[in-house]
Amino acid sequence: MVAFVNARKFSCWPVPLLQFFTASILLVLSHSAFTEETTDDSYDAAIEVVEQLHTVLLKVMQAADSMKFSERYSTLEPVILESFDTPVIAKVILSRYWKDLTPQQREDFIHLFNQLTVATYASRFDSFNDDVFTTITVKQLKKGRILVRTEIQSNGDDPVKLDYLMHKNNGQWFIISVIADGVNDLSLKRVEYSTVIKNNGYEYLVTNIAKKITEMESQKEK
Amino acid sequence: MNKLIQIRVIPIIIALLLVSLASGCASTQTKGVETNNDTLEPVNRVSFNLNETLDEYILKPIAEPYAKYTPEIYRSGITNFFNNLTYLNVVLHSFLQGKFGQGLSDVTRFIVNSTLGIGGLNDIATPMGLPKHNEDFGQTLATWGVGQGSYLVIPLNGPNTVRNSPDLVTSTLLNPFFYISSAILFPVAALNLINTRANLLEATNLRDEAAIEPYTFTREAYLQQRLNLIYDGNPPIEGYDDIFDDFEDGSSDGATLNIE
Repeated sequence: MVAFVNARKFSCWPVPLLQFFTASILLVLSHSAFTEETTDDSYDAAIEVVEQLHTVLLKVMQAADSMKFSERYSTLEPVILESFDTPVIAKVILSRYWKDLTPQQREDFIHLFNQLTVATYASRFDSFNDDVFTTITVKQLKKGRILVRTEIQSNGDDPVKLDYLMHKNNGQWFIISVIADGVNDLSLKRVEYSTVIKNNGYEYLVTNIAKKITEMESQKEK
Repeated sequence: MNKLIQIRVIPIIIALLLVSLASGCASTQTKGVETNNDTLEPVNRVSFNLNETLDEYILKPIAEPYAKYTPEIYRSGITNFFNNLTYLNVVLHSFLQGKFGQGLSDVTRFIVNSTLGIGGLNDIATPMGLPKHNEDFGQTLATWGVGQGSYLVIPLNGPNTVRNSPDLVTSTLLNPFFYISSAILFPVAALNLINTRANLLEATNLRDEAAIEPYTFTREAYLQQRLNLIYDGNPPIEGYDDIFDDFEDGSSDGATLNIE
């Protein structure tokens, strides 16, 4: 909008030149904004969300031998529901298909996706190998989003990088994606689910997500 | 022996030329801007299904008991041994990417593990401060500005890209086992295959647990992992913002990310 007003004011300037000039400034500004590394105190609250999740994960892992899948599930559920902004995650993942869903379907999908997230954590964090989580740094992205960089080190293994993509919603920090050694869960699911909806339809997707949850439960409960 | 090498090398060199030509045609992307260029999807899906079927009925049923009954100390020795054999390819590509300090460290690592580490069975270089790196021809070409090209699924091999496929040649030619007689090569290659598959069991089980559409899941995970390797574990974080653009440019049903 600013660029548009300026272009009118300096109408004797060639418009492409003005656009180039404005674009260059915006590029420089945006570049400095999302490459800036920060240890600002204001991100303490975001780090706390991640570290709280790590604390519960460690608790579940340490008690893996005595905890069944259902117990791990119920221990993890509150912290996961509190830490992840699933409504936003669901909207991003279903991308252009989101607007075609009824309010009830949206609500059902958010609920199902929450179950999938909790079941996935309960399934994967089922053993303890002297694991240690370390928070490394926070990096700023666009539109107030940040990346909290952490890693998990298991005994004898190479550390795995866990980056949390976070944003603020109603004054509270939420996780919107987990990036494990460069693999971004949000963008992966977005492409995968879009392909499934395109080829097999929305109902096929939700039926199969529900099936995955049941499979994880039955395999790990044995 | 020379004739044997010729028989093996000539088809590979022809393949290299063809692939270089193909990657040259596709080399329009810059390092940071990768797209999931799956122009060969119908063919790739055929190869993917073939690989999955062979894996399900032959390889995985062998790798699972192998992983279960082989003591961990033997498995890590075998893994170290094969990692060391393929390490000359890492050395070459560390240098080709201009990472001279890393290249020197990699040469030393190869020598130390091949000698003091008893033919690579023991990785004594890592505790000495000579860490294992992951470099290949695809990463070198990316560093030189060559575009990713199309995603490929190679029959009997797996996910790849046009840009990375010449690595099949350099990694084969730089593997000392390529030059030994077939009588020894085949059993050793079979052991390598089974051991490698066993090491991937955890990853493929996780994929099977999560994936609704295994082909797309594998492609996306593979391409993201490749980008991560090209940038030595620090891919440009700006890319993480791209998927929110649809929701924030006003073209979607909501101008912000918040739900209604």
